[in-house]
Amino acid sequence: MDNLIIEATKYTPEVFFDCENHVLDLKGKSYPENTSVFYSPVFEWLEEYLKQASDEKITVNMELVYFNSSSSKILMDFCDVLDAAADDGKNITVNWVYEEDDEDALEFGEEFQEDLESVTFNLVQKVLDDF
Amino acid sequence: MLTDLYEFKKDLGKRGVFFCLSGPISQNLVAEIGSTLEQKISLEEASKSTVLRVFSTVVENAQNIMRYSDEKDEKLSLGIIAVGHESSHYFVLCGNMVENDKVEILRKKLSKLQTMNRNELKEYYRKQRRQGPPEDSRGAGLGFIDMAKKASKPIEFDFKKIDENFSFFSMKTVI
Repeated sequence: MDNLIIEATKYTPEVFFDCENHVLDLKGKSYPENTSVFYSPVFEWLEEYLKQASDEKITVNMELVYFNSSSSKILMDFCDVLDAAADDGKNITVNWVYEEDDEDALEFGEEFQEDLESVTFNLVQKVLDDF
Repeated sequence: MLTDLYEFKKDLGKRGVFFCLSGPISQNLVAEIGSTLEQKISLEEASKSTVLRVFSTVVENAQNIMRYSDEKDEKLSLGIIAVGHESSHYFVLCGNMVENDKVEILRKKLSKLQTMNRNELKEYYRKQRRQGPPEDSRGAGLGFIDMAKKASKPIEFDFKKIDENFSFFSMKTVI
């Protein structure tokens, strides 16, 4: 299968899903008017990918600076899909990357961490590169 | 109007409002307003969380107008959004027309949120997110809860009856 690469826009995140190296990056802002239009291909790819994955280590990096409330629902669904696959025996690690003083992003991460049972869910504080 | 414009600007300033937009709201506009406000508020040395909460409240309000305003210009939805600063807090005002028969449902929804503390709002948000959107929702049904959760005090709202069909809905969120 092919990698899934979608460039970031002002209100949708960058998607870089690499099925050769098993690294799935979701990075940026997410507040599209219609979340299902943007996320449908993302979910389709993910389900296809998980179906053919075996016992390799899969790393998912979620680095969302901002997401609106409808994206929050979609991100939960996204994590649920990963959790179900992990429950099914796949080796999945999710890194929830948040900025140091962004309390809300940390809180969202903590909630996801509590809700998910089978994936390894890490809260990763981003080191700010101040120039 | 030309000569009143300065008075109008001064009046907004007196009320602490530093940004105001009345008219059709679109997704592109939301992104531009968001990034401009982000720049402005960052300059004022607000914390990262505050900047993001103001940004987020503007986005949720704008997308509410886009989805639910009952005043339309072709496909565009009309409403008003204002952002200001008073007593060391940022606030976001939002208003749009709604049909009278939606007023009671909205009032009930918002009154319920007003009585909840932060922990209750957090739990309610998680429960609703798990449950999925109510039938009348065009998003995830989480926008108002999200705003209430990010606010530093209970959200305020008002309905002004305009005629037999419409009321004007206004809401204030203090960050």
